[in-house]
Amino acid sequence: MLLAGGEGSRLTVLSEKRAKPAVPFAGKFRIIDFTLSNCVNSGIYTVGVLTQYRPHSLADHIGIGKPWNLDRARGGVRILPPYQERGGQHWYAGTADAIYQNLGFLRDNQADLVVILSGDHIYKMDYAPMIQAHLDRGADLTVAVMPVPLEETHRFGIMVVDGEGRITEFYEKPKERDKGNLASMGIYVFSASALERRLNEEPGVRVDFGRDIIPAMVTGGDRVLSYRFEGYWVDVGTIDSYWATNLELLGSKPGLDLYSHDLPILTRSEERPAVKVGPQGRISNSLVSNGCVVRGTVINSVLSPGVQVSPGAVVQDSVVMNDTWIGPGARLDRVVVDKQVVVGGGVALGTGDPSVPNALHPDKIYAGISVVGKGAILPDGAVIGRNVLIGMDRDESHFPPDRQVGDGQTI
Amino acid sequence: MPKAFAMIMAGGSGPALSVLTEVRAESAVGFAGKFRLIDFPLSNCVNSDIYNVAVLTQYRPHTLNAHIGTGTPWDLDLTSGGMHLLQPYQGGPYGDWQRGTADAVRRNLDFVMDQNEENVLILAGDHIYLMDYRPMLRQHAASGSDLTVAVRRVNPHETHRYGIVSVGSDDRIVGFEEKPRRTRGNLASMGIYVFRKKVLVDLLTATEPVDFGRDVLPAMIGGAFKVQAHVFPGYWADVGTVQSYWEANMALLSENPALDLYDPSWVVHTRSLERGPVKIGANAQVHGNLLSNGCCVDGTVHRSVLSPGVRVAEGAIVQDSVILRDVVIEAGAVVDRCIIDRGAVVGAGAQVGSGDDNTPNLESPEVLSSGLTLVGRGCRIGPEWVVGRNVILHPGVVTGEGGKKKSRLIPSGASLGEAAR
Repeated sequence: MLLAGGEGSRLTVLSEKRAKPAVPFAGKFRIIDFTLSNCVNSGIYTVGVLTQYRPHSLADHIGIGKPWNLDRARGGVRILPPYQERGGQHWYAGTADAIYQNLGFLRDNQADLVVILSGDHIYKMDYAPMIQAHLDRGADLTVAVMPVPLEETHRFGIMVVDGEGRITEFYEKPKERDKGNLASMGIYVFSASALERRLNEEPGVRVDFGRDIIPAMVTGGDRVLSYRFEGYWVDVGTIDSYWATNLELLGSKPGLDLYSHDLPILTRSEERPAVKVGPQGRISNSLVSNGCVVRGTVINSVLSPGVQVSPGAVVQDSVVMNDTWIGPGARLDRVVVDKQVVVGGGVALGTGDPSVPNALHPDKIYAGISVVGKGAILPDGAVIGRNVLIGMDRDESHFPPDRQVGDGQTI
Repeated sequence: MPKAFAMIMAGGSGPALSVLTEVRAESAVGFAGKFRLIDFPLSNCVNSDIYNVAVLTQYRPHTLNAHIGTGTPWDLDLTSGGMHLLQPYQGGPYGDWQRGTADAVRRNLDFVMDQNEENVLILAGDHIYLMDYRPMLRQHAASGSDLTVAVRRVNPHETHRYGIVSVGSDDRIVGFEEKPRRTRGNLASMGIYVFRKKVLVDLLTATEPVDFGRDVLPAMIGGAFKVQAHVFPGYWADVGTVQSYWEANMALLSENPALDLYDPSWVVHTRSLERGPVKIGANAQVHGNLLSNGCCVDGTVHRSVLSPGVRVAEGAIVQDSVILRDVVIEAGAVVDRCIIDRGAVVGAGAQVGSGDDNTPNLESPEVLSSGLTLVGRGCRIGPEWVVGRNVILHPGVVTGEGGKKKSRLIPSGASLGEAAR
């Protein structure tokens, strides 16, 4: 069961009109591709995807599940949206509530085990050994864990385990730093009977796995075990981590290998010809997807399919999504640009003082990265600072007459 | 639009493509990085709203069959119509090996008769062009022709390579010369025919022609049939020789190539491989190339076309070359004016396409004399080997690893290994 209903509001304009799992990542992929591919690479071919916030882009992407071989007569992929019933209608109030409202789907599939996953994490993992460990140890619930830096423990569910790996204490996003650094990755293997029993105890009250269900199981006598994951795992929850995680794919030894043939990451590929590099084109330390035409310079950047970089343009330390056009002489530095943006000729995007946070969203855009929403048109010669947010479909009429947008401004 | 179904001739062995067609049918040869030749006629069909397509195979069809599959990339996996793969078979009045294009259709006459459409579009599986067949079909219907032949204007010095038609008033074809030494005409047949199905069935029932260009076309022009020319003004290339194949690939590297693969209104569909984006290393240099998904470039690549999954290691140089899928060029190797087939490995420090000696290939000088070196599928060239020009390494050749420097040389014009049987 893939939880893909979250809004991901910290990604600001990137998740304004699409659910966070549908946000493009690593050029040609979307965030949900990693979890979906992990499922089929682990031999799991019955997958429910729980949606709620703006599911259209996600539903288009998943379709009937063909890219993941999930278009099946038995099993396959099922989108599970919120629904109305005789007693009324209920939005999914949280992760556990979403599963509770779809217990029928689990019963229909006669599941013995239920793997609960988050649709917005970047990692490659074979779930089979974790499932085997769950069975071997007779667990009711197995939680995948990994150590995180102590200063980040407040972002995670933190666990205390005994010598056997049994979870004895669980703290959801603890403020104190004395609980150790073993964090839950939001990957749960439940025995179906234990899951159903716990969800049925206090429906409507226990709405979240991390906050309600797991603590209840730990203290309530269930056998809750940890499973240690060694490897690359990132929750791309913020603009900063989204940008950094994309750029971490560069370099000669990235944490995530997109090119190995074991555990391949599958996606709905767009039908595009090869990357064309013009005679004056220059590309260094970058990922460039099919359909891109590069006549300018691209350094330390990740380009999605169909991006056009005109002569004299320089794209540096940036993430640029599908079919964005970058005009002659434009300069992009430390920016995230969504799909189908037009960057006019000579535009300077990402220039100035990175220490001025965004005035409107100081908690979301503060690391010096400017963000441009889908379909925006940046007029020729505009000068746009750092930590700037440009909304979707903005054009010349929304810009000041002098086309200067200072650090931390929002259009 | 008048109704038509398409038959694509994909059984040819393409002998002039040398090592590339020793292991696969010509129409399955890779082109422009991620495509195969057959993608062009197949995509033209569906882009022209023709969703009933037969592909006729004979020579080494396995790669082609795997590529086409159920026709999903072209939306040809349909309940009625869609993709039909036709193979040689035994039995019935027509079953036997195919001896030529017209014979191939005759062998499948049962299939032809079964189709509901009243017109048959005959296509070659190995031509590169973007063409809307609908204007040709409309002209065919409007003029009431029995046969319409697509033609294009060629330079006078090229006429000896083609079948040249001469037309009278109303584009009616009145004469045909196959590869004439000298001619006044300049309209070359493109091997694209629209037949009235009834006329074609009658003809193939009554006679046994082998080839459309050589046998059927002259016979129909000389007979009581209405045969028309349809002039196609766009880009068209027959990449049937090593030289023309290489040139057509290189032509895509120019600023505004005649063949526009980036036109969203006429997409060429293919079975895309599931690979990551192109990864360019920090010290890589890439200028004037086509690079496909899954390529990892840490060295230098100039004026070349790379298929998916090619790896160019640090310090290696690839220039003016066509590199097919999953080839590995190891550190410090130099590849110059080569066509390297799938899965080959060029060892560290090796030089392939080296030196000024342009001795034509001794085994087949007619195929290879322009300085290109061909490396067949799965060849392994050991570290520090030096391979000259006009060399043919047949599929699967493995050079030794060690040995003295002198013994690590394959001189210009040499051929190694055997043509796969």
